[in-house]
Amino acid sequence: MSDFDFSVITQNWAFLAEGLRYTLQVTVTAMLGGILIGTLLALMRLSSIVPLQWFAAGYVNIFRSVPLVQVILAFYLIIPLVLQMITGKQIPIGAANSAYFTFTIFEAAYYSEIMRSGIQSIPKGQIAAGYALGFTYGQTMRFVVLPQAFRNMLPVLLTQTIILFQDVSLVYAIGATDFFGAADKITQRDLRPVEMYTTVAVVYFIICFTLSRLVKRLQSRIAIIR
Amino acid sequence: MIEIKNVSKWYGSFQVLTDCTTQVSKSEVVVVCGPSGSGKSTLIKCVNALEPFQQGSIVVDGIAVENPKTDLPKLRARVGMVFQNFELFPHMTITDNLAIAQIKVLGRGREEAVDKGLKLLDRVGLKNQAAKFPGQLSGGQQQRVAIARALAMDPICMLFDEPTSALDPEMINEVLDVMVQLAHEGMTMMCVTHEMGFARKVANRVIFMDRGAIVEDAAKEDFFGQPRSERAQTFLAKILNH
Repeated sequence: MSDFDFSVITQNWAFLAEGLRYTLQVTVTAMLGGILIGTLLALMRLSSIVPLQWFAAGYVNIFRSVPLVQVILAFYLIIPLVLQMITGKQIPIGAANSAYFTFTIFEAAYYSEIMRSGIQSIPKGQIAAGYALGFTYGQTMRFVVLPQAFRNMLPVLLTQTIILFQDVSLVYAIGATDFFGAADKITQRDLRPVEMYTTVAVVYFIICFTLSRLVKRLQSRIAIIR
Repeated sequence: MIEIKNVSKWYGSFQVLTDCTTQVSKSEVVVVCGPSGSGKSTLIKCVNALEPFQQGSIVVDGIAVENPKTDLPKLRARVGMVFQNFELFPHMTITDNLAIAQIKVLGRGREEAVDKGLKLLDRVGLKNQAAKFPGQLSGGQQQRVAIARALAMDPICMLFDEPTSALDPEMINEVLDVMVQLAHEGMTMMCVTHEMGFARKVANRVIFMDRGAIVEDAAKEDFFGQPRSERAQTFLAKILNH
């Protein structure tokens, strides 16, 4: 091990790229789905209908209290059972597919707390102005409150998404192969941990850094001028 | 046009409005004044149901506001409202602020809505600000846009909730000028304001409120001539003497 040998990367590039593609797909799916469900949960939590408040609060509290890796495992085991109960057939969905669902559901809890504080940051007068113009509740949220909440919360939403991107590596628990998992598997076989993990770290860094730069530019473009 | 009958409202056990009764007829301009905390803003917000009330009734153009079957968005779309803090939507251009409710609530086409909005923007003297965002305008300019936004909905009446209270003194007149012009055009207006100059110029009636109750409801000449209640006299003496 006296010399570094980065050929381990080039030789296994296709396998690594496949893992990276999976990681990015899970991230994007869970981000979009999580923000959508999270926003609905936030609206429930802030609604005046008590059962909806309870449901949203329960949802958030449960998922925030359980380690992600355990949720990944639990959903992997439970989803097939539930599907079997509903359809009566055995539907093998596989580890890779179950993660899309798990991350979306899990991240929704965190995104919902972000959106909740975003919604609460909008002055009450804005809501009154929406109503006064004849908007319904839904229109007031869609055109007045949520666009502003989203802009205000963009940096925090990004932070959560970067955490999500890195957390996808936890799918090792159910044997799915993400970017980190792919690197790990090659390392077990070829015994070149330094080259491999350094490369993986650099790739993670480049992606996260680029993402935060992109969001910064997006933010300055859509920022609310005050 | 607006009939307020025996309206009472409580926050918990605290009564904010006590048996308020008054009306605003078509093309009438009614100014509501009174010390802060007297319930004037609350009362005007009851008119378009932004604030609920527990007792009494408010009828706007034949429609009972407190009736649970009333289509409130539809009613509110016909009642223009201008707020103390302007409440333009900061994430939209002035043009979009003027057009969005016309498009989404009245179902007008975008072109028609923008056209109408820009005409009104011209009327309040801000034609060249159409592409800007609210944050780039002064308070007085924002409030004039807010008036144009409300007018774009072709309201049957306008409610003003302390429209000049958040403005620097030199900007108050530009807003009042627009309001005076509106009054002269025959708009039905209910204005919560301390601008007694405005009241003298255009009001038909002045309502004086204190501790949630309407203490005085009189024609302008009577109110400024000889207010019957002592409370109104001291209030007037305080705000007119300097």
